[in-house]
Amino acid sequence: MIPAIQVTKLSFNYPDGKEALRDISFFVSSGECVGLVGPNGSGKSTLLLHLNGILPDTFDGSSSVEINGKVITRNTVNKIRRDVGLMFQDPDDQLFCPTVFEDIAFGPRQFGLSEKEIRLRVERSLAQTGLSGFENRFPYHLSNGEKRRVCLAGVLACEPLVLALDEPTSYLDPRGKRNLHQILKALPVTKIIATHDLEMVVELCSRTIVLDEGRVVADGPTRELLGNEELMLRHGLEKPHILRHLHPH
Amino acid sequence: MRHDFFDRFSRLDSSIHHLPSSLKLLFSFGIIFTTVIVPVYYQWVFFVFFTILILVSFMSKIPWRFIGGRILFLEPFALGIAVLSLFQHNGFAIFLSILIKSTLCLFTIILFSNTTPFSEILVIFRRIGIPALLITILALTYRYLFVLIDEAVRLRRARDSRMFVIRRSRIWLSLTSLMGQLFIRSTERSERIYTAMISRGWK
Amino acid sequence: MHIPDGFLDAKTAIATGVFSIAGLGTALRHARQHLQSREIPLVGLTAAFIFVAQMLNFPVAGGTSGHLIGATLAMVLLGPSVAIIVMSSVLIIQASIFADGGLLALGANIFNMAIVAPVSGYVVYKTMRILLRDTRGQLISASVASWCTTVIASVFCAGELAWSGTAPWNIVFPAMAGIHAVIGVGEGLITMLVLSAIVKTRPELLTNTSIRSNRNENKSTLIYGIVIILGLILLIVPFASRLPDGLDRVAQSLGFESKKVANHGFSTPLKGYNFFGIESNALSTIAAGMSGAGLVFAISFLLAGVLIPRKKNADNSPYST
Repeated sequence: MIPAIQVTKLSFNYPDGKEALRDISFFVSSGECVGLVGPNGSGKSTLLLHLNGILPDTFDGSSSVEINGKVITRNTVNKIRRDVGLMFQDPDDQLFCPTVFEDIAFGPRQFGLSEKEIRLRVERSLAQTGLSGFENRFPYHLSNGEKRRVCLAGVLACEPLVLALDEPTSYLDPRGKRNLHQILKALPVTKIIATHDLEMVVELCSRTIVLDEGRVVADGPTRELLGNEELMLRHGLEKPHILRHLHPH
Repeated sequence: MRHDFFDRFSRLDSSIHHLPSSLKLLFSFGIIFTTVIVPVYYQWVFFVFFTILILVSFMSKIPWRFIGGRILFLEPFALGIAVLSLFQHNGFAIFLSILIKSTLCLFTIILFSNTTPFSEILVIFRRIGIPALLITILALTYRYLFVLIDEAVRLRRARDSRMFVIRRSRIWLSLTSLMGQLFIRSTERSERIYTAMISRGWK
Repeated sequence: MHIPDGFLDAKTAIATGVFSIAGLGTALRHARQHLQSREIPLVGLTAAFIFVAQMLNFPVAGGTSGHLIGATLAMVLLGPSVAIIVMSSVLIIQASIFADGGLLALGANIFNMAIVAPVSGYVVYKTMRILLRDTRGQLISASVASWCTTVIASVFCAGELAWSGTAPWNIVFPAMAGIHAVIGVGEGLITMLVLSAIVKTRPELLTNTSIRSNRNENKSTLIYGIVIILGLILLIVPFASRLPDGLDRVAQSLGFESKKVANHGFSTPLKGYNFFGIESNALSTIAAGMSGAGLVFAISFLLAGVLIPRKKNADNSPYST
């Protein structure tokens, strides 16, 4: 089985020379949901930006990332951006059209689909995220939770094979978080979620990768890793409450 | 602040709001153009227009106070320029004529802009052949206008809670520094928007 | 300076509309050729920024406050062509959503604030930069250019009002130019302070942006210049007195005689516009203009000296917030 994501010895330095990622290697199987956790500045966002070829800025030929067996190169990057749906931290940054419909339609429109197909995809994505009827809404008037879901819908409209989410539950209230958890749980697509929301990781992700200072320090079953209090504290995290109160099986 | 920036009435549910935007635009344009061209002797024309506009504002369900407030708010600017017209032969007649015409036009635009979402105006622009680049930029400007206003308010609040001496010079320095910050943040945000756009296939 | 509807007659609205379309069209064509996709969100966001900037109240005296127009600021940040697009976007949105400035008058407003202003600012700015090359010089040039564009734009505005018969030239010209000579000081000051704030944190935004001066804007600027000069001929020259005989004949043959009938006393020279005893009106106008510019220059020079210390000791600045 070709893994959905294969990262091999990925290293990356910022333009000012600072090291962001060091020798990162892991793979994600098709359909798996992997949590990516770590303290602030550990490189989670930077890693996600490598998954659809936004980083590194230039292609010098050697890419350490393969999506569905395809190496990211100048020629394949366009297709890979369809296959990897990246969702960013701040919904205002990626909700850039004047109406919800136009924003969700943005991706499909870039692929040159017919107007009819675009409309279908938009409606389907809105239904998937529980936002039917929101087509003509102005993004500024939406709540944080709604904005977040529109961003997700916009990504889903591209029908990606992999969902890469950067802090999807930030700025959300508990109800918004629960909502998003349910939506994500129902999606069969491969997921990698960078987040501080450890409760969500326990709920959704069978596997977790812990990042610290640009390195992979742990990679294994979620409950084992997140239940390891000492490991959590060592890397600027803490054992999620949900695991404190569970009886071991 | 000079503007009511919430643009909150353009999406109400009324018979006027549901009319096609191009119709509303043509109608508004027609009224304005006719008002400007017709000499002020034909007072009945203005009277008819005024009546139509009152009817429209009634059907549009936009609060009276809002419309009245907007007219009253923007009127002084018109008055200021209109005053200059007094200093000529027949000045008072010209002054009155300008006042009537400009108020009528103002009323028209206020009704138009508050019954038509900007996104639909952009659709009209696209249809009449306005270059795609300008439309993209107008869309982005509109979209991020309110976001930036919020950001500016937040920056100002953070500042105000540290400012204890309200001197005029300090206010100028504080405001311009805020503007500088806002611009820098805007450049950073525009980078992130670009990243989001290319992530979804834009070239 | 936003002109509402009802102040301009049809011919003025149409003429300025044509000029605006020409200027904006050229700017868009230039942008299409030279702007990278990466820079497009920045243009939109800068327009939103200028919009917000125009909203800010700068207290002046006794409860009054001033506002920034921002054309020169946009020009310094992004170059004249993009500034044209930025300012036009601001004006279009202000007219169609906030009823600030008329719909029919949009052509005139765009012409004044989105074409005349950034382009004249560009000319003044570039000229001064030839002599003033350092960062301080940048601030000073921007400041003086801002003052100039405020006054120049207001003169075109006066011309439009006069040509429409709304107000007589010999009232509206001194009123507009006079008031905006004062307002322009604020514009120059604000522009300078904002640029200095940006320079302090991210100086590369003022030197390295590929949107700006590195690209050859000369050809487009030529077109803008032609459009503006046409506007000048149509809107201002007929009113300015003491036309050289040749030009006067041209004006007559183009049919401006009818204006002499409509605006009583139009053909007589500007009355009472006397500046320090200089009798000739054209000369006194120019002298007044240059004194204004000189005053703004002096203020900017002193301020720049405070804002950008000679040594690279930014920490010493008393204005760090």
